[in-house]
This record gives sequence, structure tokens and C-alpha cells, in this order.
Amino acid sequence: MPPGDFFYQGMNRPISVVIWIVVALVGAGALGTIAFHRGEPLNATWFVVAAACCYLVAYRFYSAFIAARLLTLDDYRATPSERHDDGRDFVPTNKWILFGHHFAAIAGPGPLVGPTLAAQFGYLPGTLWLIAGAVFAGCVQDFIILFCSIRRDGKTLGEIAREEISQRGGFIAQLAVLAIMIILLGVVALVIVNALKSSPWATFTLAATIPIALLLGLYLRFLRPGRVLEASFIGVALVLFVVVAGQWVADSPSWAHVFTLSGVTLAFALIAYGFAASALPVWLLLAPRDYLSAFIKAGAIFSLAAGILLVRPQVLMPPLTRFIDGSGPVFAGKIFPFCFITIACGAISGFHSLISSGTTPKMILRESHARFIGYGAMLMESFVGVMAMIAACAMTPGVYFAINSPASIVGATSDAASATISSWGYPLQAQTMTDLARAVGEQTLLNRAGGAPSLAVGMAQIFSSTIGGPRLLSIWYHFAIMFEALFILTVLDAGTRVGRFMVQELGGRVWKPFARTGWWPGILISSALIVGAWGYFLYQGVVDPLGGINSLWPLFGISNQLLAAVALVVATTILLKMKRIRWIWLTLIPMAWLVIITMTASYQKIFDPNPRLGFLSYSNALAAQIAAGKIPAAKIADTQRVIFNQRLDAAVTAVLAAMIIVLIIEALMQWYRILSSDPKSVLHETAYVATRWTEDFSGASYVGAAAEPEAPAVEG
Amino acid sequence: MPSLGSEVQACTRKSRALALALRIKLVAAKLWLGIREWCGDSAYERYVQAQRTKPEKSCLLTPTEFYVERVNRRYSRPNRCC
Repeated sequence: MPPGDFFYQGMNRPISVVIWIVVALVGAGALGTIAFHRGEPLNATWFVVAAACCYLVAYRFYSAFIAARLLTLDDYRATPSERHDDGRDFVPTNKWILFGHHFAAIAGPGPLVGPTLAAQFGYLPGTLWLIAGAVFAGCVQDFIILFCSIRRDGKTLGEIAREEISQRGGFIAQLAVLAIMIILLGVVALVIVNALKSSPWATFTLAATIPIALLLGLYLRFLRPGRVLEASFIGVALVLFVVVAGQWVADSPSWAHVFTLSGVTLAFALIAYGFAASALPVWLLLAPRDYLSAFIKAGAIFSLAAGILLVRPQVLMPPLTRFIDGSGPVFAGKIFPFCFITIACGAISGFHSLISSGTTPKMILRESHARFIGYGAMLMESFVGVMAMIAACAMTPGVYFAINSPASIVGATSDAASATISSWGYPLQAQTMTDLARAVGEQTLLNRAGGAPSLAVGMAQIFSSTIGGPRLLSIWYHFAIMFEALFILTVLDAGTRVGRFMVQELGGRVWKPFARTGWWPGILISSALIVGAWGYFLYQGVVDPLGGINSLWPLFGISNQLLAAVALVVATTILLKMKRIRWIWLTLIPMAWLVIITMTASYQKIFDPNPRLGFLSYSNALAAQIAAGKIPAAKIADTQRVIFNQRLDAAVTAVLAAMIIVLIIEALMQWYRILSSDPKSVLHETAYVATRWTEDFSGASYVGAAAEPEAPAVEG
Repeated sequence: MPSLGSEVQACTRKSRALALALRIKLVAAKLWLGIREWCGDSAYERYVQAQRTKPEKSCLLTPTEFYVERVNRRYSRPNRCC
């Protein structure tokens, strides 16, 4: 197929041209309506139509352009799965199945929690960034890193950075991954704590998933080895049963007491769980929980999409709120850069580059599938973010702010919260919160910062409008909480284990035996180190008077977006080496944008004079209060701990920013060498091997091979 | 007595229904295969297939050994995202 044909494929037919013009016009019309509509509440259908049309156009044209002109994907080139097919790591896999694998791996709590928190600016900025950020940055990053890894035998981002930029660049990338992992785990654990505290129903439901996972682990290990599907069906049935059984626990005074836990108790329980999941055999707890989580995640996301399409709720949040000036109660900071930092994964996530350079490139069948899997799966994740935005904005703004604001800002009682929030211009009756809490089976919904409870309320309202009505609101709410908590817990235990391996690898550089993954003292020490690191962030979030999310979610967003910048630096370097200078702006502009927003956010989080925003000004303000004798003697120790935590957060932010600056300097030096045609700047792709499947794809002896369609074609 | 035309029509309807049933069965079978592969249910069968096609013969793992080795490998690198 001659160059460019792929891009123009089908466009010689007038009907195709007309269809794509109609899709583009409908998308533009829906986006215009979202952007310029004022006054009456807007129907959520506009959001779905705008997002779907933009994604279709972007996938059809932008991703095809990248595939054809920038990467020149070549289906005659054997992929790692073909060359190394071992039935273990390297497994040629049908593109739809691999899409499912990849999407299940990249879709985590980020695209649900981030847009929910960013809704404090109104629906408009978050929605626009979710769509534009995914199309021009997130999908491009995932797609190009996947392509780079395919061309390098499935190497990881750190290994690629080491080869293509420098040894130091690779080491910085590895450190950045470990840092983001620690902060990520601390933050997602805080989201669970805020969702479960003082909620016996939700706590029981989540606690019960642990014995269920253990049971499945034993079943899969001893009774029916590897029979994941039947075990998962049993597990899902049991989990749905405990969601309902949670109500009986909450109604029983003696049992409700046992499962009514404070934030600090829950934090220590999660730390203990993380340690156990990291140190226990993986087949016993971690793997079965992941299987459970994958099925429930897929089910809940599709149900939410179906619910939104069926109910078509009204979006009650205004397009822009007064909090774009940085005075928001959910988190402090102006719309620029904090809308982008907060949305994070729904638009672009650095963590995806680890998946795109992990399992997926080892399973991909043909190079052209990278477009569908890399670009397409991220579009789907962005759509999940848009749905979370709809669910959050379909709530009355007053209720949204009451759930997501800390007690130190809106007050701890319904009366105080309703008075404060109403004074902001978002009317709220105290009785509304009491009634809503009763309807969802909770004691209170006030001050439940973290995004999970408000998302669960939004989801429950959408689900109950479809099935069951108000009677089932409490069941749906706890189903949504269980769904969020279950897969956050999966991220927590899988992340802790991977973090343990990273610590062991780093420790092994100092003392070799420490790197042995089967050596028990090494396992216990590295597990304790990684759990202690994220556990500290979790604890500081739980005891933070501003609610924790205010400090930690931006820190997570900054580290995540910095990792995305690292991935785009690597991608840009490789494209320069491939002599794609004409199209370098495709990665250079998103990279520059990410550097600008992360550096601005880092600077503001460290140095801003507003104590709610700047880590140092907050710690200095507290220190001044102690010096002035305004803090009671009993609270001085706690206050000093908060001061230390704020200074630690400032130091972590500064180190993360410094790492990206060093990496960019390393990359700039490499770019200079490439542009001045230095012979040392070579591309480290694996040698070209022609596919054996050119004529007959049945050469791939994998399950589902029959589903593979046409013979391979060169894109470009 | 039914005419030849109606018999042909009935036969055509029957063959169309059979073709449809066959198509549905095929789609359901593919869907089932896809779900099994997506969740890892068929991983062992795939591994055995891959080993059989290899020129050098190595000791085949049992289903239990393969399952434990597979999950150990899978959860030693980032496989769940934020």
C-alpha cells in the first residue's frame, strides 16, 4: 500500500466524506452548546454527543495521521509477540482482546476522582480539557510509547530512556516512577479512607471482599487451577451478596459498632493490608482480588454509560463557578494550572506509559494494532472521565460542595454547612443533607472529601432512576462505593508489590542479596519500606485539618503529569532520531504544555503566600501561631507534625520538579547531538525481521486466531 | 397438497433459519473464546499450544505450576494504573 493511502482510506467515496463532515459538525455544535449555554440546566446528552463525535473524528483522522506519517507503522515487520512467542510473556493476541486487557490496566480511579474534584470549577473547563487533553496529549503519548516499546522488544520506559537519552535519564525516569507510585498509593488510600470512615455498611462490604478473594485464591490454586472465569463468577456473586448484606450489618447495633471506624483506624488497617498483600504469595490475595475487580469495574463502567444514556440527567452545576479564582473549598488553586493537574489521568496520565511499555507491546499482533489499542483505549478512558464529570455535575451544586468540602471550611454540622454553602450562592437546606444521608443508608455525607462518595451519590442517583427508584438508592450507593473501593484496593496492593520490586532492585545496587525476590528478609524489609512510605502520606492526609485531599491530590497530579512529561521527552527524542523533525510538534507541544503546568503548579504549591495553597506559607503560618501562643498546649505536638508534613510535601514537590528539569537538560543535550548529526546518537530499535504471517495469518497459533481479519498492510 | 413453490419457500426459510442459528452460534463461540482469553482462562491452553510448536522441547508445566508462575510474573511489574 503506497504511503498515505491508509490516511485517505475510504475518503474517495463521497458518502464517507459527507458522513465525516456531519459527525464533525454535530460534534462542533454539541461542544459549542456546552461552551456557550447559560441559564437553564443543560442535558447530559450534549456532553456524550460532543465527546463521542470529537473522539470519532480524532481517531479517524489524527491517529491515522500519526500512524501513517509520523510512525509509518509496518505490518510486514514481525512484532515481539511473533518473534518471541513463548505462551507466557510474549503471546500474540487478538486486537479486541488486547484492547480489553490494555483498557482494564489503564482505567483506574484517576479518571473517576479527578473530574469529580475538578467539577468545583464548573463543568466547562474540566470537560474541555478531558476531550482536548486526551485527543492531543494523552492518546498521543500512549500510542507513541506503545509503538516505541514494540520496536524495542517490549522494553520498559526506563530502559528506553536509558538507551535513547542517557544512563542518567533512565535512572531519573525510574526514580520518577517510584516517587509517583508512592504518592499515588498514599492518595488513593486516602480516597478509600474518606469513603469508608464512619460507614459500617461500606466498611463491612469492602472488608468482606478480603475473605472472598482468599477463597477464590485457594480455589484457583488447589481446586481448579487457572479457571479464572468460573472463580470470578462465584466471586462476583458473593461480592454482590455482601453489598446487600452490608445493610443488615449497618442496621444491627452490635455489628454496626464493630465496622464503624475512624479515619486513623482505617488508615492503619489499609497499611496492614498493603503489607500483607505485598508479602503474601500473589496467588492467595492479590491475583484473585484483581480478577474480581476487573469484572466489577467493566460492569460498573458500562452500566454508568448505559445509565447516563437512558436517564439523560440534567447538569445542575454551572459552566463556571466562582472558585476559578482559586478560593475553592474542595482544593485551593486557580483554574490554571490546577484544573489540568486535578483532572490528570482522564486527559493524560504518565502512568499509562508504564503499561504501554509493559505487557501490551509483548502481546500485540501487528504494528497497526497499536493505533487502536494505544490511541483508542485512552479515548475510552477519557470518556469514563466525561461520565464521572456528568455524574458529579448532575448533583445540586450545594450537595456537591457539602460532600466534598472539609469541615474546617464549611463546618461539621448540616446547619453550618448549609449556611456557608448557601452564602456562596449555591442554595442548600440543612434537611437536604440529612435526608440524602438517610436515603443512601449513611449517618452523614458531610465532609467526605476525596471524590468517591460524591461520585457514588451521582452514580446511585443515575442507577436508581433506571432501576429500582428511590428504594434502591442505598443499595446503588454502596454498590458504587464498593466498586470504587475495590479497584482502588487493587491498585493499592498491585502497586505496593511492584513498588516492593523496585525497592529491591534499587537496594540490590547497594547490596546484591537484597535484589533476590524470593529472599524473605528482603521481601519483608522492602515491603515495610514501600508500605511505610505511602502509609506516611496516607496518615498525614487523614490527620490534615484541611482534609488531606487539598494537599495530596495536587501532589499526585503533579507527579503523574511529570511522568507524562518524561514519557513525551522520550517520545520526542526517538522521533528526532527517526528524522521526523517536520512533525515533531505532535509530541513537543503537549510536552511543553505539561512542563509549563507542572512547573507552575509546583511553584505555587511550594511558595504561594496563601496558606491553603502554599505548603511553606501554611507551615510558616502554623509556626507563627505556635510562637504567638495561639495554639493550645495539648495541640502543639499535632500542629508541629502538620508543619513537618507541609515542609515534607514542599521538599517532595521540589525534588520532582528538579528531576524533570535534569531530564529535560539531558534530553536537550541529546537533541543537540541528534540535530548536529553526531554519530553517537543512534536509534536503538531491534533489527527488522519480516513477519511469517504475511500471506497467511493462521500461522499464529493462538486462541482466537480465526477472528483475525485481513492480511497485513503497511501504514505510511 | 402443498405445491412445489411453497415447499421450496419452506425449505429456503428453513435453510435461512439454520444459517442464522449457525451464525449466532459462531458469534457466541467467538465471544466466549474472547472472554476466556481476556480474563486468562485459556492461558494454559495457549501455553501448551506455544510449547508444542517450538522446535526445542522443554518440560511442560502443570496447570497449577503455570498458574502460579503466570500470576507471579504478571504482578511483578506495573499492570494496574491510576
